[in-house]
Amino acid sequence: MTGKEIREAEILQEACLTLEQLCAAAALERDWLIRHVEEGLIPVAGTVVAEWRFTTVHLRRAKRMHEIERTYDAEPELAGLVADMLEELDDLRALLRRHGLA
Amino acid sequence: MEFKDYYAELGVARGAAADDIKKAYRKLARKYHPDVSKEPDAGKRMAAVNEAYAVLADPEKRAAYDQLGSAPPPGQDFRPPPGWDDGMEFSGREFSGRDAAGFSDFFSEIFGRRSAQGSSFGAGSNDHHARVLLDLEDAYTGAERQLSLRVPKVDGEGRVALETRTLNVKIPAGIREGQVIRLAGQGSAMGGEMQGAKPGDLLLEVAFKPHARFHPQGRDLHMTLPVAPWEAALGAIVPVDLPGGTLKVRIPAGAKPGKQLRIRGKGIPSSPPGDVYFDVRIVVPPAATPKEKELYESLQKEANFDPRKDWGRAP
Repeated sequence: MTGKEIREAEILQEACLTLEQLCAAAALERDWLIRHVEEGLIPVAGTVVAEWRFTTVHLRRAKRMHEIERTYDAEPELAGLVADMLEELDDLRALLRRHGLA
Repeated sequence: MEFKDYYAELGVARGAAADDIKKAYRKLARKYHPDVSKEPDAGKRMAAVNEAYAVLADPEKRAAYDQLGSAPPPGQDFRPPPGWDDGMEFSGREFSGRDAAGFSDFFSEIFGRRSAQGSSFGAGSNDHHARVLLDLEDAYTGAERQLSLRVPKVDGEGRVALETRTLNVKIPAGIREGQVIRLAGQGSAMGGEMQGAKPGDLLLEVAFKPHARFHPQGRDLHMTLPVAPWEAALGAIVPVDLPGGTLKVRIPAGAKPGKQLRIRGKGIPSSPPGDVYFDVRIVVPPAATPKEKELYESLQKEANFDPRKDWGRAP
């Protein structure tokens, strides 16, 4: 790779990642992700695995939950609760930034 | 190569029990958690703590690390003693190749070549993911960016080394935060080259660098619009510089603080384009000069204004 060549980037649609792509992107095991989606801990539309499409919001949630489970040997439900709170924190911080308060 | 003292990183003694190591790790993982930590270098420290734990929590890796001895005298480069790793095999299941991409050269030199045999690399796909930070202006105009990615790569003998890849990428206009852009065929070829597998795609998640004035939300831009009291009271047209050019914003007469103004279609270009939202903030002018004081005093006399009229009167 010389770094001279210019690559055209393509914007993917909002919910664009397949199960395999999300696993690869977040370095997750397929079974782990399927289990968490089926238990409703990572909410995704669609009833069969092939229909599932993920966004970067799912990506961040899955990475966070996986890290919490690994670091603290946490139950998936507890990791889900922590992820819920961190997402709430993200939203509130974004709100503060929009109002020039952070 | 710089020696890494993993015991010092976790603040435990060399002979510490596995439970104590886990406890120390969890304590530090909480302290440096990038989402909540107030420490300035939390992300960097977290990576160092993860690296130390990846070694000390794994009995095989810990044993191998202990064989290496301790740090060389200051100013001297570290060299592993000959034959230190005879007969050792690392399976490395705990941490993935992508975690290891953030680890030090010391780690990749000592442990990289063995863990390639384990299950950690190439979890069934050769797609690769990274986050790319763009300027908000890039979303309006499109941009060419040079990206440096640190990727683990397997050589012909199955050894893993971290390689820095530089890519020139053309990013189309209209990109929004959280979107993913795909560079076909530019993913990792982990284990793939040997088996003749096709390299996957490179997936880049887009984030914007924080901007002092503009706060993007999806296609829309939010910003605070400071106005003088007379602009709010009488109405005004104020010029606002946006990434897409200067915009004349009409402030309606009688605008109240906190009022939100929307300009349609001037957010991030897209189909349909986003909007720009202004939060009106009234800035109180100082009464610094005698003339300014006089003006305030005459306003006080002339205006029938009580900012606390809603409070009612004490009985």
